Amino acid sequence: MELLLEGLKKAIEMILSGDPEILEITLLTLRVSITAVLVSTLIGIPAGMFLGLARFPGRKLILAIVNIGMGLPPVVAGLWITLFLWRSGPLGELSWLYTPTAIIMAQILVSLPIVTALTSTAFQQINPKLILQVKALGATKLQLFWILMKEVKLAILAAVIAGFGRVIAEVGAAMMVGGNISGETRILTTSIVMEVSKGNFDIALALSFILMTLAFIITFSLTYLQQRKRSL
Amino acid sequence: MRMKLSLFLVFLIAFIAGCSDSTAKEPEKITPKKTDLILATTTSTQDSGLLDVLRPAFEEKHNFNLKIIAVGTGQALEMGTRGEADVLLVHAPAAEEELVKSGDAINRQKVMYNDFILIGPAGDPAQVKDLSLPEALKKITEIKAAFVSRGDDSGTHKKELELWKKTDIDPKILGKSYIEAGQGMGATLQIASEKNGYTLTDRATFLAQKKNMPETEIMVKGDESLLNIYHVMQVNDEKHDKVNAAGAKAFVQFMIEDDTKKIIKEFGGDKYGEPLFFLFE
Amino acid sequence: MTTLLMVKNLEVKAGKKTLLAVPLFEIQDGEVLGIMGPNGAGKSTFIKALALLETPAHGAIFLKEKDITNDLTLEMRRKFAVAMQQPLLLDTTVFNNVAVGLKLRKLPRQEVKSKVSAWLEKFQISHLAKKQASTLSGGEAQRVNLARAMVVEPDILFLDEPFSALDFPTKAQLLKDIKSIIKQTDTTTVFVSHDLMELRYLSDTLAILMDGELKQTGPTEEVLSSPNASTAAFINEWKSLLS
Repeated sequence: MELLLEGLKKAIEMILSGDPEILEITLLTLRVSITAVLVSTLIGIPAGMFLGLARFPGRKLILAIVNIGMGLPPVVAGLWITLFLWRSGPLGELSWLYTPTAIIMAQILVSLPIVTALTSTAFQQINPKLILQVKALGATKLQLFWILMKEVKLAILAAVIAGFGRVIAEVGAAMMVGGNISGETRILTTSIVMEVSKGNFDIALALSFILMTLAFIITFSLTYLQQRKRSL
Repeated sequence: MRMKLSLFLVFLIAFIAGCSDSTAKEPEKITPKKTDLILATTTSTQDSGLLDVLRPAFEEKHNFNLKIIAVGTGQALEMGTRGEADVLLVHAPAAEEELVKSGDAINRQKVMYNDFILIGPAGDPAQVKDLSLPEALKKITEIKAAFVSRGDDSGTHKKELELWKKTDIDPKILGKSYIEAGQGMGATLQIASEKNGYTLTDRATFLAQKKNMPETEIMVKGDESLLNIYHVMQVNDEKHDKVNAAGAKAFVQFMIEDDTKKIIKEFGGDKYGEPLFFLFE
Repeated sequence: MTTLLMVKNLEVKAGKKTLLAVPLFEIQDGEVLGIMGPNGAGKSTFIKALALLETPAHGAIFLKEKDITNDLTLEMRRKFAVAMQQPLLLDTTVFNNVAVGLKLRKLPRQEVKSKVSAWLEKFQISHLAKKQASTLSGGEAQRVNLARAMVVEPDILFLDEPFSALDFPTKAQLLKDIKSIIKQTDTTTVFVSHDLMELRYLSDTLAILMDGELKQTGPTEEVLSSPNASTAAFINEWKSLLS
């Protein structure tokens, strides 16, 4: 209990003192997570829409794979990406291993299936007659997609929130592909693991409070966006 | 209006995060881009904080971007064999020699040492305090006291297995009391402390963790067999063509320079009252 | 009267099964044409094909004597409007729902606003303009649905059983209102229903569709008073129920 209070105190101290290292780690965490979620959203929503609306052979198989992907353990994602990014691996020339780019890749790999699967579920629930009705109102293909997207915007935002939650909490893959390098790939979760293994529980706790505050602010904003009074 | 506020918040955060990137990159634009140099090392050198001191000293002297990947010695050596690291700083002499023999590592240099110690609960149920190491291990197996092993193929783990072998005891006879943590030194120490068990640790990590485990004490130390020697070595660029040979060479040289030795010798004195690493005089 | 829409040899299939086969069908300008038939006769399929929402297996479609069979474009589709049994409103306000068709056609804002206001007025739902569609009663929602269809001033209005889910007083009032609006605007209308009472009230002409084929077409009262061999059983059953 005492340790909890101490950690909270330390967190406030660290934030108020503007510790440049903490600031750097926090900003990197944000940059990496937001980029990953943004990419997952930009790919996952159209992909989910396609899987939800289109009918083609192999669709069920793809849906099953995407659904399995939702439970992809981050360390597995990390391992695959490591194998690809190794100097001796197929993408070795890029020298991306142990860079923020590698962490972003791993986080996209774990969040993209979530965004895609939840989006596709949302579109599958649309009444097919509504699609017909919107067409009858004179919508082009693009206008149709836009209108349907607005119809399921709550579910889409929920998908993005879930994806963000996965990404901000992720540690195994970030450790493996990022290497927790100070000033380069050290993010909040990996530094928490490191501080724990160093025995610095107070710092680890402080970092965890910062992480949770961040997660709260962003999730709260997205939820607010989701629950705002609806208008066209 | 409210929606705009929340949207604004999200974008503000994204913007700040984006800025951090551009500001971080600015200095790089002024100086020519540094080449990355990947150092694979053990968790003990990172967790003790030594590398946090050595990294800036190295980067000041040499134009390389030192990327420290702290993993178990087993993984660090494997990265060496695959050419995924440029330079290694590890503490598993027997395994290291194999790497040199296979031609994966060259220019292997002794850097420093500290010692392994056997730690255990202050109550000392097995009565091993100040015994010699083989006797201590024997006593632990006799009463089947809890013994926590790293179990992760790290340097410390290799050392532990070597010690059991020398004593001619198979730790498996401990049965359930032989706990394989499969984690780093810090986590293993915490498990030992929670389970009132004994464990083998390097002194540096133990000193760093001591504040969290007041009920845990050093049981056996100073035994000849407990020496923990760190070597630095280059990964052979003739065998692995993507290795940064120049950087690796510079780092090996840096680790045995007098200035660096002075840093190592003094490291830990102010915080723990005793140095964490020792030099070969 | 001139022929507004004509189809020849229209055939709609689902796989190998023929859902609809109509050798010839015409709608006159300003006509209110009712299509009646039992469930599964192909009424909705017919409307989908006529409103260009479904591509027929074959057939030719002429709009004002112009062959548009190979020109089933968005532009043609936008000349029509459809209101179905379920109102299927979008998750937004009543105003926005009625405005959708105009917005999709990229009309200037001011024009959208004045047209929507006018049509809300005509359907007596101006007071609902700012309400969320999800909060409306069944009758209100159907009025919004019909206003949404009429606001684009379609060449042909297709009604696919829009009154069948309403209770009687609501239905009666809405039937009266839509009849007067159709007459006022002189809108050509195709009205599908299985309710003879609705059809008698609204349609000038009645077509009986059974098993995917048009069995009889003519002025409503004429069809009802003198059914032919194929339609007699169906129509007489209805008549005995009503009398």
